[in-house]
Amino acid sequence: MNTSAVTPVERGLTPRSTGTYPVLELRDASKSFGHVVALNQVNLSVHAGEVLAVVGDNGAGKSTLVKVISGVHRPDMGELLVHGSRISPGHPTEARAQGISTVFQDLALVETLDVAANMFLGRQISRWGVFANRRRMIAEAEKTLRTYQGNVPSVRVAVGELSGGQRQSVAIARAIRENNPIVLMDEPTAALGVQETARVGSIINSLRAEGKAVVIVSHDLGFVFEHCDRIQVMRLGRSSATRDVRDTTREGVIGLITGAVPGDDTRDHRPRSGS
Amino acid sequence: MRGTGGALVSIPAAEGHRSAPSRRRRMTQWAFGSAELVVALVIILFVLVGATQSAQFFDGLTWINILRNTVFVAIAGCFTTIVLVNGGLDLSIGSVFMAGAVGGAAVADAGYGNLLAFLAGIGIGAAVGLLNGLLINYAQMPAIIVTLGTLFAVRALAVTLTQGQPIGPLPNDFAAIGQSDFLGLPLLVYYALIIVVVAYLLLHRTMFGWNVRAIGGNRVAARSMGIRVNRVATSVYVLSGVSAALAGVLMASRLGAGDPTLGNGFELQVIAAAIIGGTSIYGAIGTVPGTVLGALLLSVLTTGLILLKVDPGLQNFAVGVVIIVAAGMDRARKARMFRTSTNVARERQGKKASDKDANR
Ligand SMILES: Nc1ncnc2c1ncn2[C@@H]1O[C@H](COP(=O)(O)OP(=O)(O)O)[C@@H](O)[C@H]1O
Ligand SMILES: [Mg+2]
Repeated sequence: MNTSAVTPVERGLTPRSTGTYPVLELRDASKSFGHVVALNQVNLSVHAGEVLAVVGDNGAGKSTLVKVISGVHRPDMGELLVHGSRISPGHPTEARAQGISTVFQDLALVETLDVAANMFLGRQISRWGVFANRRRMIAEAEKTLRTYQGNVPSVRVAVGELSGGQRQSVAIARAIRENNPIVLMDEPTAALGVQETARVGSIINSLRAEGKAVVIVSHDLGFVFEHCDRIQVMRLGRSSATRDVRDTTREGVIGLITGAVPGDDTRDHRPRSGS
Repeated sequence: MRGTGGALVSIPAAEGHRSAPSRRRRMTQWAFGSAELVVALVIILFVLVGATQSAQFFDGLTWINILRNTVFVAIAGCFTTIVLVNGGLDLSIGSVFMAGAVGGAAVADAGYGNLLAFLAGIGIGAAVGLLNGLLINYAQMPAIIVTLGTLFAVRALAVTLTQGQPIGPLPNDFAAIGQSDFLGLPLLVYYALIIVVVAYLLLHRTMFGWNVRAIGGNRVAARSMGIRVNRVATSVYVLSGVSAALAGVLMASRLGAGDPTLGNGFELQVIAAAIIGGTSIYGAIGTVPGTVLGALLLSVLTTGLILLKVDPGLQNFAVGVVIIVAAGMDRARKARMFRTSTNVARERQGKKASDKDANR
């Protein structure tokens, strides 16, 4: 392919249009679950005002990648840099404190709690430091959902009573509400209809306009080509290639996903170069 | 707890959101959705029917007795509710109750004074609770097995250390704590009230309580969103141990002795009170007032059946029936809660609709 002369690591570090260092950068991250190598020396970088798509087959390691960045999993090896400085989140709270907001694939909602409680899960507003300030959380949740138009009947409804699309709206609204510079979304349109998917698309566009660094995991290549700037293909735990949407086609990406087109990461066929 | 989602989201959240179908439907939802209301009605009904058979049902002394018997189960029950809502289970409280009684009695008997006696009892409870919590959450062992183990081990240790003999008679000033009255009611009732209010605030009003409920509802989600799941779920067992041991010290004071044969089956009574009061053993759902009413119902039932001269062998039969009916209502309540398409579909596939087994 067109960039095969450059090693993946160099490509990952190359500043894009903005000419600055990446807001979020993952270097050589590996993560295994028992015998399963879910991530194998994966690199990733996103700049401010850039939307990076992560695509790949089921089991390619996309969700593991998201969870490593958001502090749910600690990587076995590798490092994570935010605004150029190294962090090692051992817990989701630490990643969030570093400005990372996440919409997880499983949405991370508690079905038995109402929408307001879910909106402030792990980040409650307190009264006197110990009591839950329910009144303010309910008011804020209502405000957020009004802005976001989540189509949720009431913030006092248990999430277990909501439809899949409504749940997804709650999870996305929760992540956007935090107004963090880095936003990760793992399959944010999976349970959504056409109209709702379009709304998520416009949310992503406005995040870009606000100068956020956005990572979107998606199977919907149409959506990816419409809303993302760069596509990173994951295959069998590796990051096999990264392409600018302007330099590639849908067929090219599908080839990379299935392995019909060889990726740039050929480290398994040769000794690891010092990266 | 009222209404469809209200029952899920605990009392403070419950008032406003009923999505308001018909007034009548709301009323029935409220009646069926509220375990507290049902238990209160059952108590009133039982007393009214009983009163036609025995005048003692309206005797003040009978009620003082009933209340005094409720105290111990209620104190431990409030915190068992918190453990259950968190998605856990603590079987060890029967032995911890006894260990608290014996430990407190030993210190009081040695003349170290009331304060140290209480601190010693509570310390034992905290230590056993911490051990339970660490093994369950950090070593990731099943709660039922860990706490069954400590149930046996703690009792065996206490029996060995006391050589099976009660410690006492205890000093009068220690016994006075559990034997005196104030304004015609045993002091024990006032202590229990204070502890119940503390547990209520903790579970229903604090951020800690909401985190407990979130963990019981979906542990994976709670962790993903940054709740310190292991820390919270461990502290819940410490609280449970402390409350059971405190109830034990109070029992030693009331009896004027610390008896190592105390508390056999206490854990089952406590869990029964919570379940009768609407707490789900699948986590996330349950209230402190419900458990207090459950404890009161158990006490009214046992005392009442004696007054009615029912064969003592049949008393536990009645308790068993009440537990099963309560569990059945819990099931029905939950089936009402998630009438969403996904859950209906899951029900059709024969899977349980809202059970949280997957996360426990
Ligand atoms: N918590 C876990 N425990 C064990 N294996 C896991 C866990 N999470 C992911 N895996 C495994 O890691 C691989 C990558 O999974 P995942 O990151 O979810 O893939 P994707 O999101 O691309 O579909 C799969 O083989 C999956 O079974
Ligand atoms: Mg995934």
